[in-house]
Amino acid sequence: MPALLEVMELTKVFGGLRANDGISFTVGAGEILGLIGPNGAGKTTLFHCITGFHRPERGTVRFDGRDVTGLPPHRIARLGMARTFQTYVAGGDLTVLETAMVGCFSRTASPFRARSRAREILGFLGLAGLADLPIRDLPVAGQKKVALATALGTEPKLLLLDEVAAGLNPGEIGELMDAIRHVHEERGVTLIVIEHVMELVMNLSDRVLVLDSGRLIAQGLPHEVAHDPAVIRAYLGEKYAARYLGEASR
Amino acid sequence: MEALRAAFDFSDFRPTERWVSRAVAAFLLVFPLLPVSSFAMATMIQFLMFSLYGMGWNTIGGYGGQVDLGKAQYVGIGAYTTAVALIRWDVPFWVSMPVGMGFAVLWSFAIGYPLFRLRGHYFAIATIAASLVLKDLFEVWDFVGAARGLEIPAHRFATPDFVRLIFKEDVYYYYVLLAFFFGGVLYMNAFRKSRLGYQLRLIKDNEDMARSLGINVHWAKVKTYAIATAFVSMVGSFHACYIKSIEPEDTMSLDLSILIALMAMLGGAGSLWGPIIGAGILIPLKSYFKEWFGARAGLVGMDLILYALIIMVVSAAEPRGIWGLVERYRARRESA
Repeated sequence: MPALLEVMELTKVFGGLRANDGISFTVGAGEILGLIGPNGAGKTTLFHCITGFHRPERGTVRFDGRDVTGLPPHRIARLGMARTFQTYVAGGDLTVLETAMVGCFSRTASPFRARSRAREILGFLGLAGLADLPIRDLPVAGQKKVALATALGTEPKLLLLDEVAAGLNPGEIGELMDAIRHVHEERGVTLIVIEHVMELVMNLSDRVLVLDSGRLIAQGLPHEVAHDPAVIRAYLGEKYAARYLGEASR
Repeated sequence: MEALRAAFDFSDFRPTERWVSRAVAAFLLVFPLLPVSSFAMATMIQFLMFSLYGMGWNTIGGYGGQVDLGKAQYVGIGAYTTAVALIRWDVPFWVSMPVGMGFAVLWSFAIGYPLFRLRGHYFAIATIAASLVLKDLFEVWDFVGAARGLEIPAHRFATPDFVRLIFKEDVYYYYVLLAFFFGGVLYMNAFRKSRLGYQLRLIKDNEDMARSLGINVHWAKVKTYAIATAFVSMVGSFHACYIKSIEPEDTMSLDLSILIALMAMLGGAGSLWGPIIGAGILIPLKSYFKEWFGARAGLVGMDLILYALIIMVVSAAEPRGIWGLVERYRARRESA
């Protein structure tokens, strides 16, 4: 698989905190990569560095054969990288359809075409019935789906999803998983998914990366990572990990 | 082509809105045929001018959410370009107006490019400062008459002069301005449905999301600021021919900048009708109060106090202005 995204030795420092510390990995075209780790591990910072919202102190990001390190976010986005945000609290007056249209406007200047594209994407994600509601009237789960629809409007090669499933109930998680799988299969979009909902990340990902305290501590197939002692230690802490791992080996 | 169709397409408004706006348009068309006083006529011309100022302001201030309190500098650039060109070189209005718009847009890039690095209140304050600096420069610039200002020698021209836009009767000015007004409404109707219009509304709501969708937020703001500027400068050129006597203190004053912003905000920033409603309420109030309190009751400045009160009440009740009140009332009635 040719690499679509190559991250090399990426380091981002905030004051004395190394939020990302020498992270290297590649993502092949057509892959779904899961990105997990405890709170504060540096997952969102890594997204910010890849998409240009943060400028890393060290390291490079290559996307689609191009060095994009330090480019502004809109330039990177235009190369075919889209993302969603962990929080999208809408205060504006845009409707669901209008928000999705703004994504489509990155490919066309025609409001007519943007509208029909946006309708198509909303239908595809099961949001057609909400099209004319103001986005601020939607629950968080709905807003996140709209953010996904909007990002898809830019026709990305690579899509980075930051906790799209947070706050959803099991039924909604199932729907969202189907939608993401659909996006991946039908549109051939490569995905990197930050997620705390293990059901989603473990079922969906081809490969999983684990961050802890800014460092990449493990990567591999979902079930390998789940049994990696370093990962268990990161999630449970030394004391409980020792107890758990001890019991498991007994 | 699509933009032109969008300009004439009002189908997304409700039937009541369409009927009211048709009635208002018809009224504006026949207004001069009614037996009206010259004072009422002058008030209507002010109303049309401020509606257009407000529409321009509404692009960046309303849809884009960037509160701009320095629009008077562009009124000044338009007015001075037309006045200087007419007095010194006898340039027709229809030439000097677009030239003035060009100057104003160039100046808006010089101002907007650095200023849009600032956000919120800092941006608003910086626009005030920029406008005042330009006014001070004009007050010492002899070529444009410095603080004394300029006088267009209207008596030299045979009226009605449609080329230089010099008339004796206000009714000519009224119809020329009314054409601008209708043009402005159509332009704004297309603008709000254009790519830039939608992008701006997302920028106002969530700049980071806008960036992640490939929008160059800074450039979008600078571009919109230039559009707002072109509107304001166009009316400034008209103002010079209409008033015939301009000076920095009235064409570029802080009062004017604030009045432009307040009318749009009072009527409803970010809606097509907002600036028109705002001007439609404040301009008559302002001129009649001034006349009544100032001239008859001797209470100079009372008009300003009253009108500040109205603004405070509206912004406390509904920050989206009068149009926001209308929409809230509608939403309540529909959900009931």
